[in-house]
Amino acid sequence: MATDAGTETKRADSSFRITTAQKERYARLWRQFRHNTKAMVGLAIVLTLVVVALFAPLIAPYSVSETNIDARSEAPSLQHPFGTDELGRDIFSRVVLGSRISLYVGFGSIVGALAVGTTVGVVSGYAGGMVDEVLMRVMDAAMAFPPILLALTVMVVLGPNLNNVILALAFVYTPYIARVGRSAALSERNEEYVESAVSRGESDGYIVFKEVLPNCMAPLLVQASINVAFAMLAEASLSFLGLGAQPPKPSWGLMINSGRGFMQTAPWMIIFPGLAIAFAVIGFNMLGDGLRDVLDPKVDTVES
Amino acid sequence: MSMLSYLVRRVGFLAVTLLFVTLITFVVTNVLPGDVAVLILGPNASEASLQALRADLGLNQPLWVQYLDWLWALFQLDMGQSLRFGEPVWGLIMDKLPRSLLLAVAATAFAVVLSLPLGVIAAVKQNEPADVAASMFGFVGVSIPIFLWGLVFILVFAVWLNLFPTGGFVAPSQAENGWMTTIRHLVLPATSMGFALTAYVMRMTRSSMLEELGDEYVKLARAKGMSERVVVIRHAFRNAVIPVITVIAFQFAYAFGGIVVLEQVFFWPGMGKLTLTAIQSRDIPLLQGCIIVVAMMYMLSNLAADVLYAYFDPRIRYGGEN
Repeated sequence: MATDAGTETKRADSSFRITTAQKERYARLWRQFRHNTKAMVGLAIVLTLVVVALFAPLIAPYSVSETNIDARSEAPSLQHPFGTDELGRDIFSRVVLGSRISLYVGFGSIVGALAVGTTVGVVSGYAGGMVDEVLMRVMDAAMAFPPILLALTVMVVLGPNLNNVILALAFVYTPYIARVGRSAALSERNEEYVESAVSRGESDGYIVFKEVLPNCMAPLLVQASINVAFAMLAEASLSFLGLGAQPPKPSWGLMINSGRGFMQTAPWMIIFPGLAIAFAVIGFNMLGDGLRDVLDPKVDTVES
Repeated sequence: MSMLSYLVRRVGFLAVTLLFVTLITFVVTNVLPGDVAVLILGPNASEASLQALRADLGLNQPLWVQYLDWLWALFQLDMGQSLRFGEPVWGLIMDKLPRSLLLAVAATAFAVVLSLPLGVIAAVKQNEPADVAASMFGFVGVSIPIFLWGLVFILVFAVWLNLFPTGGFVAPSQAENGWMTTIRHLVLPATSMGFALTAYVMRMTRSSMLEELGDEYVKLARAKGMSERVVVIRHAFRNAVIPVITVIAFQFAYAFGGIVVLEQVFFWPGMGKLTLTAIQSRDIPLLQGCIIVVAMMYMLSNLAADVLYAYFDPRIRYGGEN
C-alpha cells in the first residue's frame, strides 16, 4: 500500500509539474507563434468568428426568420447592408447567425473525430502488430471513399439535419486523425520515457493515454485545425446539395443554394454567404498552417 | 524491396481495402429506409406480387447471403438493374464515367498549368511580395468551396460576359463544330475545380524548387556563369518536378472525389449527377454501383500517386508502410 502511494505522488509529479525546461519551451513556441504572420492572422480571424458567433443575436439587427414582403430581394443598403433574400429576410443577420452553424459543425465534428481517431491511432501505433494491422486496414477502407461522397452516403442513411452532419463528418475525418496519431505514437514508442514507464510496471492504458498521448498533441492539433476548415467546407457543400442543414436554418451553404435561382437579379444572395465561408475557412487554414510551422516536430528536434 | 514486390504488395492491400469498401457500401445502402420491392412495384402492389418479387430478388435470404451473391455478381461486373431507369447499372455508369473523367482530367491539367509557374516564381522570389501573393492566392483557392467558384464563374463569365454556356454537356459527336463545343462547356467547371487544386501543387512545387535551388549543382551552375533563367528552368526545375508529379496524382483523386458537387452546379451529366439522382430516387442498386466505381477510381489514382512516389524515392519502399 505504501509503495502504491509512493508511485501515485511520482505520477502526479511527472505529469503536472511544469519544469523550467518546459516553461522555456512553451515560451519559445509562443514567441515563434507570435512572429508567424499566417498563424496570427488565422488566429485573429478565428477569434473574430467565435466572438461574432457568441454575440450573434446582439449583432444581428433583424431576426433570421423575419420575412418582409415589402422588402424582397433588395440590394444592399444602409438598412440591409448585405441586402435581403427572396422572402425579404435580412441577409446580414442570417450570415451573422450562420457563423454559429458553421462553427458548431466545424468544432463538433472535429471533437468527435479527435475522440475516436486519436484513440484508434495512438493505440494502433503503440500496440503495433495485428492490432495495428487490422485497425489501419479499416481506416484505409474508410479513406478509400472520397470524403464528400462518404459524408453524402452517411447523410442519406441518417437523414438530413445538422447533428447528423456532425456525425457524418466526424466519421469521415476519423481516419485522417487516426493516421496522424498513429505516426506520432510510432515515433514516441521507442523513447526513453516509455521504456522507463514500462520498467516501472505501468499499465498499457496508462502509458498510452498519460505518457504517449500528451507527446502526440502537436501534430494532432495541426491536423485538427485544418480539418475544422475541411469540415466547414463540407457542411457548406452538403447543405448546398440539400442534404445538410434544412430551411429555414441560416446555413451559409443552404443560403447559397436558395440564392442560386436568383443569381442574375440578386447576386448578393450568394456573394455574402460565400464571402463568409471563404473568410472562415481561410482563417482555420492559415491557423493550421501557422501552427504547423511552429510545431513541426522536425523543426522542434533541432533544439530539444 | 524491389519495385515489383512493392507493387504486388500495394495491389494486395488494394484488393483487401476494396473488399472492405464493398462491405461498407453494402451495409450502408441496406440500412437505408425503403422496401426495394415496394419501390419497384409501387405502393398499390398486392402483397402476393411483392412477396414473389422479394423471392425473385433474393430479398428473403439472410443478409450475408445477399452480400455474397451481390459480391459475386459485382465481380462479374453485374451491378443489377437501376430501379429508376430500368437499365443495367453497369451500362449507365460506363455511359457517364468518361464525362466525369474528362472533367477531372481537365481540372487537373488546368491546375498544373497554373501552379507550376506560380510555384517556381514563388521559390525564386522567396519571401518577396510575389511569393506572399502566390501563397495568398493558394489559400483563397482551397478555402472557397468548389460550388462557390462555380457559381461565381457562371455569374461572371456566362451570365454577365456571355463567354461560355452556364452549364450542361455536349458530346463532340453531337455538336456541329465537334470538340470546340465540348470544350466551351468544359472551361468553367474545369477552372472552378482547378482553382481548388492549385494550392497544393503550387506549394509542393515551391518547396521542391527551394530544396533544389539550395543544392550544390545549382551553385556550380551559377558559378559557371550560366544565366539565372537556365539555372532555374533547365537545372532546378527538372529535378524539382519529380515529387510534384505525385502530388498531381493525389489532386486528380481529389478532383474526382469532388465531382458530385461540381456536376450539380454545372448540370454536367456525369457520375456525380448520377450519384445524386440515385440518392434522390432511392435507387439502391444504382447508388451502390456509383459509390463503388467512384471509390475505385479514387483508390486507383491514390495508388498511382503512391507507386510513382515509391518509384522516384526508393527509401519509401525500404521503409515499408511507415
